[in-house]
Amino acid sequence: MSTPNSTAVSTSQNKFALPVGLRDAGTLLGLVVIVVVFSLLSPNFLTQQNILNILQQSSINACVALGMTLVIIAGGIDLSVGPTAAIAAVVVAVLMAAGVPIAIAIPLALIVGMTAGAFNGVLVAYGGLQPFIVTLGTLSLYRAIALIYTGGNPIFGIPPEFRALTNSSIFGVPSPVLIIAILALVVWVVLNKTPLGEYFLAVGGNQEASRIAGVPVSLTKIASYVISGGLASVAGLILVGRLGAADPTLGNLWELDAIAAAAIGGASLMGGKGSIVGTLLGAIILGSLRNGLTLMNVQAFYQLLATGIIILVAMLIDRATRGQE
Amino acid sequence: MNDQDIRLRLTDIGKSFGPVRALDGVDMVVKRGAVHGLLGENGAGKSTMLNILSGVLTPSSGHVEVDGTLVVGHGPLAARRAGIAMIHQELQHVPELTVAQNMFLGRPLTTGGVFVARRMQERAAAEALAPLDPTIDPSVPIRTLKVAQRQIVEIARAMMEDARVLAMDEPTSSLTPAEFERLAVLIADLANKGVSIIYVSHKMDEVFRVCDTATILRDGRNVTDVIMSETSESAVIARMVGRELATAHHKSFARTDVVLEVTGLSRGTAVKDANLKLHRGEVLGISGLVGAGRTELLRLIAGVDKPDAGEIRLEGRPLLLGNPRTAIASGLGLLPEERKREGIVARRSVRSNIALPSMRRFSRFGFVRRKAVVDESQALMRDLNLRPLSIERPIGQFSGGNQQKAIIGRWIAAGAQILLFDEPTRGIDVGAKAEIYALIEKLAGEGRSMIVVSSELPEILRVADRVLVMREGRIAGVLERDSLSEESIVALAVPQSSPLASSVSRS
Repeated sequence: MSTPNSTAVSTSQNKFALPVGLRDAGTLLGLVVIVVVFSLLSPNFLTQQNILNILQQSSINACVALGMTLVIIAGGIDLSVGPTAAIAAVVVAVLMAAGVPIAIAIPLALIVGMTAGAFNGVLVAYGGLQPFIVTLGTLSLYRAIALIYTGGNPIFGIPPEFRALTNSSIFGVPSPVLIIAILALVVWVVLNKTPLGEYFLAVGGNQEASRIAGVPVSLTKIASYVISGGLASVAGLILVGRLGAADPTLGNLWELDAIAAAAIGGASLMGGKGSIVGTLLGAIILGSLRNGLTLMNVQAFYQLLATGIIILVAMLIDRATRGQE
Repeated sequence: MNDQDIRLRLTDIGKSFGPVRALDGVDMVVKRGAVHGLLGENGAGKSTMLNILSGVLTPSSGHVEVDGTLVVGHGPLAARRAGIAMIHQELQHVPELTVAQNMFLGRPLTTGGVFVARRMQERAAAEALAPLDPTIDPSVPIRTLKVAQRQIVEIARAMMEDARVLAMDEPTSSLTPAEFERLAVLIADLANKGVSIIYVSHKMDEVFRVCDTATILRDGRNVTDVIMSETSESAVIARMVGRELATAHHKSFARTDVVLEVTGLSRGTAVKDANLKLHRGEVLGISGLVGAGRTELLRLIAGVDKPDAGEIRLEGRPLLLGNPRTAIASGLGLLPEERKREGIVARRSVRSNIALPSMRRFSRFGFVRRKAVVDESQALMRDLNLRPLSIERPIGQFSGGNQQKAIIGRWIAAGAQILLFDEPTRGIDVGAKAEIYALIEKLAGEGRSMIVVSSELPEILRVADRVLVMREGRIAGVLERDSLSEESIVALAVPQSSPLASSVSRS
């Protein structure tokens, strides 16, 4: 092809950067509003310690939501994240209790979680089933596996070295926050800089057009579920480290929080659209809300109420601002 | 014009979308029982006019009168109450419901205001359908009807609601020539009964066939009103585009070596034992009635569907069938008819849409080389004259013609040597059509080969070196350039056993 015109290229890049960043800026603004309101209501809200608390409390949901975002972008949904995390948690605990070294137990647990994701993906891509139904089924199936294997009892005896991984701090920042930050960066790169990310967006945006354009549609879908299963497992392991036990009931209703974070962050449940930065902010919004209301000694019932309102308001604002484009 | 004769009057209609002024002080007057064309290129404001007329959009200024009475209130219901009915280009039905249920959708006949009176609905539907097409059974699911029949159902529904103005948006986009003839007769009948018809179409021959008068729009403004019997196609097109279009003549770049050979390709009843050869630099047209298996044949060649039998050879090498990825890797590229559904990822940029099949070439160490994609897409789109030339804009925001250019660019970037066009100018306006034809010629000149499926005979005659005519899933014949004419194509396309007129909506 002929040589490109560099000036035209740079202007068009600027145009592109704007609308994507705009939606994230909106999410950030929402977070700022919530932070300002709570810091006015509670003097303890905007302290360094509490900010770290919020980040730490948000980290598990953020981790699950990162994977959820990719699945949603690719046009799917993963309701089985909680039980997947529970299976990974049980696997890691059982292996470590049996004397398997941590450095082997962790990858094995993650592989099991990713396999659970792959199973979802294969059923969706090759079984021709709807993602909602598939993962609704495996939501029960995976939970049952975790419960049956453990007899419903938590597994204790988590080695202190493993617990140290999730309970330490580096430069004052809790390690789970750092882990999620690194994972978020990786997922961001995958979405924005690799062919796979391009395929997620294309398949979710228009599956038939993607197929005709030569996108490996089935593999793309499976990949999204594998990543989601893997990230859910990471979240499960972090929780095991924090609690010092692997409870087979761990991860109950995680899928809803993760979907909420992704949606607040701008992911479209119709597929083809979503933002990693937005999802992180969405998770932090949900975390701040719970933290702030707890600080103010608001009953748990009202926290639920507030969460529901935030999700709906976020979606209404999203809809209204998109209408003006 | 006598005021009493005026059925519909739109006065000073303006509509803005943010900073974009889609309509600017447009006037239109339609007489009772007239068939009035609404003409203009894509983006001229026709759709906006129709949407205002049917109440989907509220005008920023101006008003609509029917029979001298102002249409008050907003929304589709107000328009329907005023007697304005709309037949959409893409018919909107609930496929699983019956014909009668669809006709009474939203305002069912009931017994005692509680239960839907199905029998009553079916009887009323049959009554409304009888003068139009008595063969349509109101009790069958509407999905079992052909598109032409569904359109008749829509018209019957409008008549049932005593529509005084019937607006039709590209009503023939998926009709065969014979079905169009039948529709033309129907439109004339309705007009005789005093219904005023607003007819929107890109196809000039149709407009001249059915319309009495027309309003021409350009860039959201009135250009002029014309009386069809006092003007010509070229004059109207010149007013639409604001310039004279050069009518180019066909040029052939076909060479003698065969690049694609299809033998015995079959799939169900759609395609039966198709054989064809495509030469380097050749543009092979495929003509035939809708449903003759043209699209299906194209999809089989592109690997999108899997054939039951047959073989495809590319430069002598057999191609793995039913796999789009290997077809693309072997140099094939499909440009589907339904661009929005099968061609583009609307939300993604032109750049992303171009790069999609070429991700492997565009990435290194697992990362997309963004600069390479940007540079190449930019250069390609400058070559193909994308307007506006902003490759980062979502492709869905471009006009049909520009989307098609981007998809052509996609396949050039993917190194396609054989492009498979399915209705390359469907929904594309007159000006952009000529551009697409010129592009097809240019690609042929570069040694690329093309198969072009088209329902528009002038289009086939314009671009094709050779035409293959399909009929009921089979290849009925091949016409060389020197024996090519509308008559010779139609003679092959229409089933021999049945006369033209009755071949219409009966399958």
